Amino acid sequence: MDPFSAEGELLNLHNHFHQGQFQEAVDFDTAGLSPENALPARVLSLRAQIALGQAEDVIADVQGEKEPELLAVSALAELAAGNESKAVTFAEGLAKDSGENSVVQVLAGTVLQAARNSEEALALLSKHQGNLEAVALIIQIQLQQNRTDLALKEVQAARRWAQDSLLVNLAESWVGLRMGGEKYQQAFYVFEELAQAAATSSVQSVISQAVAEIHLGRLDEAEAALQQATAKDPKQADLIVNNIVLNTIAGKDTTELKSTLTSVAPNHHFLTDIQEKSELFDKAATKYSAKAAA
Amino acid sequence: MASSSPNMLTKFESKSSRAKGIAFHPKRPWILVSLHSSTIQLWDYRMGTLIDRFEEHDGPVRGIDFHKTQPLFVSGGDDYKIKVWSYQTRRCLFTLNGHLDYVRTVFFHHELPWIISSSDDQTIRIWNWQNRSLICTMTGHNHYTMCAQFHPKDDLVVSASLDQSVRVWDISGLRKKHSAPTSMTFEDQMSRANQNQADMFGNTDAVVKFVLEGHDRGVNWVAFHPTLPLIVSAGDDRLVKLWRMSETKAWEVDTCRGHFQNASGCLFHPHQDLILSVGEDKTIRVWDLNKRTSVQSFKRENDRFWVIAAHPEINLFAAGHDNGVMVFKLERERPASAFYQNNLFFITKEKHVRSYDFQKNIESPTLLTLKKLGSPWVPPRTLSFNPAERAILVTSPADGGSYELINLPRDGTGAIDGADTKRGQGNSAVFVARNRFAVFNASNQQIDIKDLSNSTTKTIKPPHGTTDIYFGGTGNLLLITPSAVHLYDIQQKKSVAELAVSGVKYIVWSNDGLYAALLSKHNVTIVTKALEQVSTLHETIRIKSATWDDAGVLLYSTLNHIKYTLLNGDNGIVRTLDQTVYLVRVKARTVYCLDRNAKPKILNIDPTEYRFKMALVKRNYEEMLQIIKNSSLVGQSIISYLQKKGYPEIALQFVQDPQTRFELAIECGNLDVAVEMAKQLDKPKLWSRLTTEALAHGNHQIVEMTYQKLRQFDKLSFLYLSTGDEAKLGRMAKIAEHRGDFTARFQNALYLGDVTDRIQMFKEIDLYPLAFMTAKSHGLEDECESILEATGLTEEQITLPSMGSPLTPPKPVVQTFKANWPTKATSQSFFEKALLGQVDGLTLEDEPAAASNGLGFDDTGDEDLTNRNGNLEDADDDEDAAGWDMGDDIVPEVESDFVNVESTEAGGAASSEADLWARNSPLAADHVAGGSFETAMQLLNRQVGAVNFEPLKPRFLEIYEASKTYLPASAGLPPLINYVRRTVDETDPRKVLPIIPQDIESLATYDLQKGYKAMQSNKLEECAQIFKRMLFALLVNTVSSPSEVVEAKKLITSACEYSIAMAIELSRRNLGSNEEVAKSPEKLKRSLELSAYFTIPKLEVAHRQLTLVSALKSAWTNKNYNSALSFANRMLANGGNAKMLENARKTKAQCERNPNDTLEIEFDQFAEFDICAASHTPIYSGSPFEVCAFDGSKYHSKYKGTVCTVCEVCEVGKNGSGLKLVA
Repeated sequence: MDPFSAEGELLNLHNHFHQGQFQEAVDFDTAGLSPENALPARVLSLRAQIALGQAEDVIADVQGEKEPELLAVSALAELAAGNESKAVTFAEGLAKDSGENSVVQVLAGTVLQAARNSEEALALLSKHQGNLEAVALIIQIQLQQNRTDLALKEVQAARRWAQDSLLVNLAESWVGLRMGGEKYQQAFYVFEELAQAAATSSVQSVISQAVAEIHLGRLDEAEAALQQATAKDPKQADLIVNNIVLNTIAGKDTTELKSTLTSVAPNHHFLTDIQEKSELFDKAATKYSAKAAA
Repeated sequence: MASSSPNMLTKFESKSSRAKGIAFHPKRPWILVSLHSSTIQLWDYRMGTLIDRFEEHDGPVRGIDFHKTQPLFVSGGDDYKIKVWSYQTRRCLFTLNGHLDYVRTVFFHHELPWIISSSDDQTIRIWNWQNRSLICTMTGHNHYTMCAQFHPKDDLVVSASLDQSVRVWDISGLRKKHSAPTSMTFEDQMSRANQNQADMFGNTDAVVKFVLEGHDRGVNWVAFHPTLPLIVSAGDDRLVKLWRMSETKAWEVDTCRGHFQNASGCLFHPHQDLILSVGEDKTIRVWDLNKRTSVQSFKRENDRFWVIAAHPEINLFAAGHDNGVMVFKLERERPASAFYQNNLFFITKEKHVRSYDFQKNIESPTLLTLKKLGSPWVPPRTLSFNPAERAILVTSPADGGSYELINLPRDGTGAIDGADTKRGQGNSAVFVARNRFAVFNASNQQIDIKDLSNSTTKTIKPPHGTTDIYFGGTGNLLLITPSAVHLYDIQQKKSVAELAVSGVKYIVWSNDGLYAALLSKHNVTIVTKALEQVSTLHETIRIKSATWDDAGVLLYSTLNHIKYTLLNGDNGIVRTLDQTVYLVRVKARTVYCLDRNAKPKILNIDPTEYRFKMALVKRNYEEMLQIIKNSSLVGQSIISYLQKKGYPEIALQFVQDPQTRFELAIECGNLDVAVEMAKQLDKPKLWSRLTTEALAHGNHQIVEMTYQKLRQFDKLSFLYLSTGDEAKLGRMAKIAEHRGDFTARFQNALYLGDVTDRIQMFKEIDLYPLAFMTAKSHGLEDECESILEATGLTEEQITLPSMGSPLTPPKPVVQTFKANWPTKATSQSFFEKALLGQVDGLTLEDEPAAASNGLGFDDTGDEDLTNRNGNLEDADDDEDAAGWDMGDDIVPEVESDFVNVESTEAGGAASSEADLWARNSPLAADHVAGGSFETAMQLLNRQVGAVNFEPLKPRFLEIYEASKTYLPASAGLPPLINYVRRTVDETDPRKVLPIIPQDIESLATYDLQKGYKAMQSNKLEECAQIFKRMLFALLVNTVSSPSEVVEAKKLITSACEYSIAMAIELSRRNLGSNEEVAKSPEKLKRSLELSAYFTIPKLEVAHRQLTLVSALKSAWTNKNYNSALSFANRMLANGGNAKMLENARKTKAQCERNPNDTLEIEFDQFAEFDICAASHTPIYSGSPFEVCAFDGSKYHSKYKGTVCTVCEVCEVGKNGSGLKLVA
């Protein structure tokens, strides 16, 4: 039986993790679990630790372990710790040796994708046997490749066998935010439901809700949501970025937010992107000049 | 006495039955002709076409007239009827009945709604055509009245009758009665009514003023002089009589004798002191009004003349005769002229020789008068100039043709008679060398070459039938005969070349002397100096003149156009003309010409089109680039022109429409573009055309992609086979398997030499015998066994045919599929490269080196090719997978499989939504949001001439930053980027568009008010900043509807006005503190001026008041009471704050006591002016100025090309296509 299904012991842990409630996932009491679930629970807990930025601890924790699941965790931890090449070597090895292991698929797939090796990641993930995590990851990768059409197919297929599970809902919302129209509203409902219930709320879900609201053009609501998230964790990079976007749209000053972001996450995609565009602008602008000097 | 001139300048002739009445349309080139056959014809005499016929009269129509302003005309006929017609609706509006006999003439009144008619019933009647009533019957003549006309200004009528008298009638009573009704008492009305009845005989509305007797027979026609108190009449006594009248009396002045039959019509020349008359003696005669002597007469062989009419405006007449009408003019209107370098020499209407300097645009005073040349009424025909001697040679057609050789004085001192002149007989005379000229005499067919002392040095017999001579290059003459032009060498005395061109009238040499244009009435023939024909063209409208551009383009004028033709015969219209002109010179955008009054005129033209075509012909790519860059040369015509002329690759640069681009790309073999466009359009038809083209090029990578698009599996397999791509062939086999297409599978297996798959397939479709044979022939004994086992047979039971050797597919020798074959450099021209180069930031100056030699071409081509291939591969990889998912769902399940197969190898990424934005929208803001800054800049540059983008950087980045959100998704991966749309409800990827921050609404409600507030609180620098930011935000923005565009434009205008106002006031404040300013008179003057200018920009009224208060204050304190007064007046006119107004009123009162300025400043309160945004000085209306294409701020012309000081982005005077804010 799938340990993550509605009747499974690990449902809550699983949900905590995917809702972005990483601390709750770490704190999850694993003592009473049946022995076959001990390892998956440990893996999830370790992943939550990595998400919380404690990659070094995790590396130490899994040192010397031989299970492919834990090796995969260590690959992920190396990635999070900034040792990308090491992580990729790990992941590639695991993909070759234990490509059928679902944890390896997801974690190694994540590492490969993070290292911008989408093809290998997809190849690995496509081996999955009814693993929702892998499906969600595939969808995310496809979205990153701007293949909304493929992602949509993947979601629809998953929806057929996994029905109303959390990950399917999330993945569908991700796709929805790409498609737009009515899908914005549906995505919003999913995120809002998560964000506004105390048991499931997390910074991540509140940000997601705010993003959906930005896309819906409801700037005031989005601002309220982002404030709510700021109250929880003001240093979250994605939060700050979306705050910048929102303020820009509303025509407000973003200088302070930008400097905060630079200190929190100097390598954030937003900053590098803007930097690149700024250079592009300067380069493009030099092609034009007035015929006569003033 | 009468000197006859056989050369009547006939412009139009019609053939019909006898023409009895003629009327010119005052504006259009139309005449109405009423015929004896009851028809009324409407002709276009310029085109020579019959526009319409009106046939409702019964019997001859004698009277006809156009209304001056309305689309009406009136006719009167032998059916006693007067009909009023509309030529627009082409029908008779109504008929005026009343005359009891033939109607002879009808005329409209020049201002009142009246018609006057004369009739054989001896009456003259005046009708009101508005209420269609008879308002006056004038009786008195006791025979047929043949003609009656209104005076052009006064309340007079003149009439002629067969009773031998001419009568002048006073109709002021009639006007009084019928105009301006004042309130009348009942009694008045009664008496008026009674009076009317009494009028029947005791007429007071129209009374005879004078009776002019002098003709011995009936009088046929009579006419007033347009301005002088003169009357002319023509009668059956064959005389034309001139009469003069004063207030009280009228008398006969003189008689013009000459007609030897009844004189039937006469009139005064509208502009010159001439009388024209026609008669049954078949002549048209022209008389000198002052001397009453015959000036000219023209005789027709067989046709008696019945009527003559003059055009009211231009120099045209029409005469009606037994077989139709003729339209003619009395004299040539082409002023004789010649130009040398920068000077034009020409002869005015007054026969003065003048010159005109093209560089200074000044006309000289009269250099010389030619009063004595020829007869006074015949203008000189040609002028030839000799720069070495500063002499002119003038010919006149008078007295059988004569010429005069005159030295021009250095500078004009007024009317000098050509003292030292040499003259002689001749029809044409031209200088052929520095000290020789040729004179042609038509009567004895002889050309004399003369030296400057007018003695003949050589005599030439020209070819038979020569009509005219022209300069033919040094030492040569061009001789014109009716059917040919000869190039005649004077030294060798023989014709060295001959070209059959008929009817040449003028010859115009190009400035470099290499080409000449031969002009005939409807043809322009361009020849080389050796008289070899280069090109020829035909015009339906008459060609009047021509001149050469310095670049070798011929500009010629027709009656109503200036056109151009290139040497290769390509021609087109440059501009239309309101009136006929004679071109003399063209320099850049200016055409110099002489009009029919011999006045030099300057016309502006846009030479872009022919310059571009010229550059194209000469392959002058730099110039083409320059033109493309600097002008908005777009449009269907230029595209089709380029395509037609075989430059599809250049046309490609102008086209946006993907379909057309595709066609052009295919035509010029530019596969990259074709692929790009085909992807955009994605139509099977296009893909198959692309396939054909790519196959022809041998570009198998594109062929592969198109086959994929078209799902042509078999072709694809074969392509892979032929390119040796076994891996893909294998995949094709797999696909065939998925599709369950056994034929395809078999085929692929054959290609691959895959025996097992073939056997497997035969087994699957139960073709065991074939499976067995295949296995057997390839020696697969195990397989044979298993087949036998499956079918339950033994080998003995089967009879086998004899075996051949098994089929082995060829092995690829070269891995062709890895790269495209090196194909020939497709027609990627220098031009195209240069354009691309331009995008890459190459400056134009870099290119001539590459262009100057032909070799550079090939190199660049090759280099480019490799690049192209490289690019193509990339594109191909990207699109490999994408190719499959867009087609229709023939095999939906296989589809995704295939995609996976492909995408494991080639990246499956597609273009992001941001890329779509740029594709979906023509608006700069959307391109910015999509991150495509280069194209956005290009758009802005084209639209409003934006050149300085630096200030827009924050705006660009702001839009870009607002375009994407970051959605946290799976832990451990970067957030998902989503694209924020303004089209929230839109899901069609071809229609989605990005959000643009700071929309019009927020700018109008928030920023504008903020700006106003800053202004109100005197924070001018802040205010200036706010409006500048607004301009930036507006420049890169979008709106949702055309109505918002209007709003946006308003915002731009007011932001601009405020910006200028702030800049003026800030520069005033920067002059220094009050004390400093007060010390320096210069600064004080400037300060006062600036404070005055501050009131000029169109600010909100409340703010204008503030500017006025400030201006008033400084004017008052510096005792400039006059200015202060004007400010006070303006304040009072504006109204508003009571206290402020009270102050103004007080100041006004004080100023009025002494309305003088102590310090003269440049501020004319009464003049209309704008403020130059750069210099802050006035631009008075009427003086030239340049504008910024974006914000509309105005500049003195000298600021053209600088960056606009208001928006800081656009180039002043660079006209674009206009800012686009809505798609």
